[in-house]
Amino acid sequence: MNFFNSQLSTLNPQLPKWLPLGLLLAVLLIFPIIIEGTSYAYLSRMAGLVGLYALLALGLNFTLGYVGLFDLGYIAFYAIGAYTAAILSINGYSFLASTFAAIVVSVFVRLLVGVTILRLRGDYLAIVTMGFGEITRIVFNNWDSLTNGPKGLPSVGESIRPVKILGMTLVTNTHYYYLIAASVILTILVSQRLENSRLGRAWVAIREDEVAAELTGLAVARLKLGAFVISAVFAGLAGSIFAHWERFVTPESFVFWESILLISMIVTGGMGSIRGVILGAVLLGGVPQLLQAALVGSRFIDYRYFFFGLVLVLAVLFRPQGLWPSKRRQVEILETEYVN
Amino acid sequence: MSTNPLLNITALSQSFGGLKALDSVTMAISPGEIVSLIGPNGAGKTTLFNVLTGVYKGTSGQIRFQERPIRGLAPHQIVPLGMARTFQNIRLFTNMTALENAMVGRHTQSKNDLLWSLLRNKTFYRQETEIEIEAKKCLATVGILTSANLIARNLSYGDQRRLEIARALATKPKLLILDEPSAGMNPRESQKLMELIRHLKNQGLTILLIEHHMRLVMGISDRIIVLDHGVKIAEGTPQEVAHNTKVIEAYLGKNAAH
Ligand SMILES: Nc1ncnc2c1ncn2[C@@H]1O[C@H](COP(=O)(O)OP(=O)(O)OP(=O)(O)O)[C@@H](O)[C@H]1O
Ligand SMILES: [Mg+2]
Repeated sequence: MNFFNSQLSTLNPQLPKWLPLGLLLAVLLIFPIIIEGTSYAYLSRMAGLVGLYALLALGLNFTLGYVGLFDLGYIAFYAIGAYTAAILSINGYSFLASTFAAIVVSVFVRLLVGVTILRLRGDYLAIVTMGFGEITRIVFNNWDSLTNGPKGLPSVGESIRPVKILGMTLVTNTHYYYLIAASVILTILVSQRLENSRLGRAWVAIREDEVAAELTGLAVARLKLGAFVISAVFAGLAGSIFAHWERFVTPESFVFWESILLISMIVTGGMGSIRGVILGAVLLGGVPQLLQAALVGSRFIDYRYFFFGLVLVLAVLFRPQGLWPSKRRQVEILETEYVN
Repeated sequence: MSTNPLLNITALSQSFGGLKALDSVTMAISPGEIVSLIGPNGAGKTTLFNVLTGVYKGTSGQIRFQERPIRGLAPHQIVPLGMARTFQNIRLFTNMTALENAMVGRHTQSKNDLLWSLLRNKTFYRQETEIEIEAKKCLATVGILTSANLIARNLSYGDQRRLEIARALATKPKLLILDEPSAGMNPRESQKLMELIRHLKNQGLTILLIEHHMRLVMGISDRIIVLDHGVKIAEGTPQEVAHNTKVIEAYLGKNAAH
């Protein structure tokens, strides 16, 4: 480890540590303004979508990343958030009110589901959450009077109004990019603070050894439920932003594949690693879209998911701990190399 | 025994299907004692620990800890009453540092909740500091403070066993339950472990110990309880037990059967 550090510092003796991150943040902050009106403007929309993925992946990171609960139905709570917000917005409620309601409803349903299924272990939990995810989508697809079925919301003659917040009306992709960026930053803050606390340590302890955790005095069932419920806050938030941005929701947006994608982001990025999860969201959420944009019209367009799958397999094979693991896991890797 | 026992077990049984892993076991432990539980493989020693700590619920009988009935409580309800344990097969939070392992042990002794953690108020920092200081004390007690920032899985085997003890100590137990703490240790390490156990006793802890290593058991125990096929077959001072014919039979019989 020392060797590593000293090499780095001799290579870049004059670079302050915060510089790369600072530059990245500055670019992320201003690029949508620069490209607005150019032929690259679609990148703002793409970045916004990646941001939504990051928001969702960070939310799922609470259960899958920290506690290690294999939740294959997380997208259902995104759907519940989106539909709740859509319905309220159509009925004239403000963005803040609909978002609040979206979070409350997602959390409440998550609580009910969690109480029922969290005593299941590992593979059973995976199957049941997967089932719940599909059931939710099917309910939205068939509950015509509330959701307008497969045609989605709003129905003809109704509309979801754009976000009004702090006296501004958000209309362009760039506007939503900033709304999403702010939400992601908030989520990162919440994640960091919880991760580095008594609660966060308890979650990770449960992931490491549930039995030992319980016998060290942790109320495992309640702690799991806590993480499970907290993760729904971010699904509800993301759902509401999505509904207001698209101003249109259909059950098709909430298919099983999306849950799998979120899990892949966390696993490839690094379970329980905030920066890893974001990297995962950028790679798995952004790169396929970029490929699509770059390859459109060429005969390689059909191969984009092939490349995507290949990257996923290679990443997991060669970096099972994640591309950018948390310090915990990174130290472990460096230490192991040192010992050998 | 004049003082009230810390732990009082009466006619405790635990069955698994047809198997009586514990068959009406009665025993008591007074404050400040070191009691060893011995017996051949499969005698029911670990099962007794599991019932005591709430992993199994017991089929019948009674367990009183500081006068309070605890049989059937969940493990996380028993720990804050002052009972902590280690495991026969080491169970650490392997990807956390040694310090973090011990800090998790402080969970029941602190209460930083969701809101405080999010707000990062004064109480939060005060508690975090206290958790860290107490956890470090426990690491120091077992002698692995210098490894505080190592990932648990990279500790030596002996240090991993010590870390388990530190994590248990962090819960501020009155009764410390150790399941074969010297398993896999070399003679020197086991000797140091016994010194640690004696030190803990001098600090006022009561200790219940499963140990296969006879010389260690004889050297350290105030009292020894012998289990065989789930039945308590003997109890007494090390000398008494060593000369008990039932005990000799249980061990020799087992050997002869091999
Ligand atoms: N959960 C369980 N289900 C079924 N049988 C069990 C269970 N736990 C323990 N047993 C059985 O109870 C008996 C006692 O096991 P226990 O682990 O308590 O023995 P032990 O005295 O600790 O032995 P050792 O010295 O090998 O650790 C064994 O026959 C074991 O197979
Ligand atoms: Mg055993």
